[in-house]
Amino acid sequence: MKNETPYIFKVKIPSHVDYIPPIRKFIAEVLQIKGFDSKFSFRSEVIVDEICYNAVMYGSQSMDATVDLVCTVYSDRAEFQINDQGGSKENVQRLKSAMEQRNEEFEKQVEYFKSNKGLGLEIVRMLSAEFDLKIGKDNVTSIRVVRKREEI
Amino acid sequence: MEPLKIEIKKSELRPDVSIWHFSGELDSASVEPINKNFNKFLQGKQFYAIAEMSKVTHISSSAVGELMGCRQVLNEKGGDLVIAGLNLDIKTKLNQLGATKIFKFHNDLRTALNAYTWNVEQKSENVWLSFPPELTFVPPVRQFVSRIARQKGYGQRDSFRIETIVDEACNNAVEHGAPDKLRDIELFLKIDRTKLEIEVVNLSDPKKIDSLKAISKSILGTEEKKFERGRGLALIKMLSNDLAIDFSGKGTTVHVTKLREE
Repeated sequence: MKNETPYIFKVKIPSHVDYIPPIRKFIAEVLQIKGFDSKFSFRSEVIVDEICYNAVMYGSQSMDATVDLVCTVYSDRAEFQINDQGGSKENVQRLKSAMEQRNEEFEKQVEYFKSNKGLGLEIVRMLSAEFDLKIGKDNVTSIRVVRKREEI
Repeated sequence: MEPLKIEIKKSELRPDVSIWHFSGELDSASVEPINKNFNKFLQGKQFYAIAEMSKVTHISSSAVGELMGCRQVLNEKGGDLVIAGLNLDIKTKLNQLGATKIFKFHNDLRTALNAYTWNVEQKSENVWLSFPPELTFVPPVRQFVSRIARQKGYGQRDSFRIETIVDEACNNAVEHGAPDKLRDIELFLKIDRTKLEIEVVNLSDPKKIDSLKAISKSILGTEEKKFERGRGLALIKMLSNDLAIDFSGKGTTVHVTKLREE
């Protein structure tokens, strides 16, 4: 990876689904402006939608909770990092289980994700080059996704 | 056939809202238990309720009628009954019965609670965005704000004017910002049902700060001299309800308030 100064976009939104469509469109448009093709931009939009939805639905316990998204754009890749303010024990456990399904056979994975609403994360994993989950103190969850430009 | 269960609880997130958890089949025999639970609920002097129906497998027209009656009573007392979490098949059937014209439907409980905070409590919501100081990023930024306004129920005319305000404020921040472009531009939004407040903060170019101060004085009406530049700020002033510019410190802060008209 080249040593370059990336373009960094940071957004903090209330933990509310209303804000997800504007934020995913914003990221898609920024990527197109930076020369990524429409397929890359649309797939990144899907990633942003899924990780934001997870953070809003499962990573927020209080009504004043917020979600932070950082999008870092390099010439050959885009990185997304989303932080929530901590979900319930059950939701964090579900998230962990969904991540653990990575090592299972494909059919078992599909079956698991369809029955456990973990399909969003599986889509993110399929569309990305790197996908990491960190669960910190008070169940604060941080997801980092890297998507690489395909034509390079 | 799954038997009907009704459990009424106060919301943990909003104790002023009651959650009615329904599960099983709401057939014609459910009218009586709904009525009984509703009368008990009224004694608690709470008038805003969310019917959580993610575990409901069937709703009969008589149960819908009973819930409509409950909603009417709550409406008369200044409250409401909304429905959350209903599966698509049942929602489609209720739509055919015309129930979607009467009840507000929400996809899940959290969305219903957020709607309560927005519509009933009328609390404002804050958004913060930081982006690199380049003109190419202004169009997505202005559309981001305009889409938020549309999403929160503002009309097309209002959102277009908001988009114009953001465009002008952000273009100014980029054009008159510090030439080294070391600090990103920050945009703060505070939105509620009646107004949107926009604040754009940037690090100013020290060479331009005096002329910027003079232009802003002219536009804000504290000085009569007219300038060739500064049309953007004049446009913001025309489209908004309040405009304030602060040059304190190294940065410039443009604060705009736009009231919802539609």
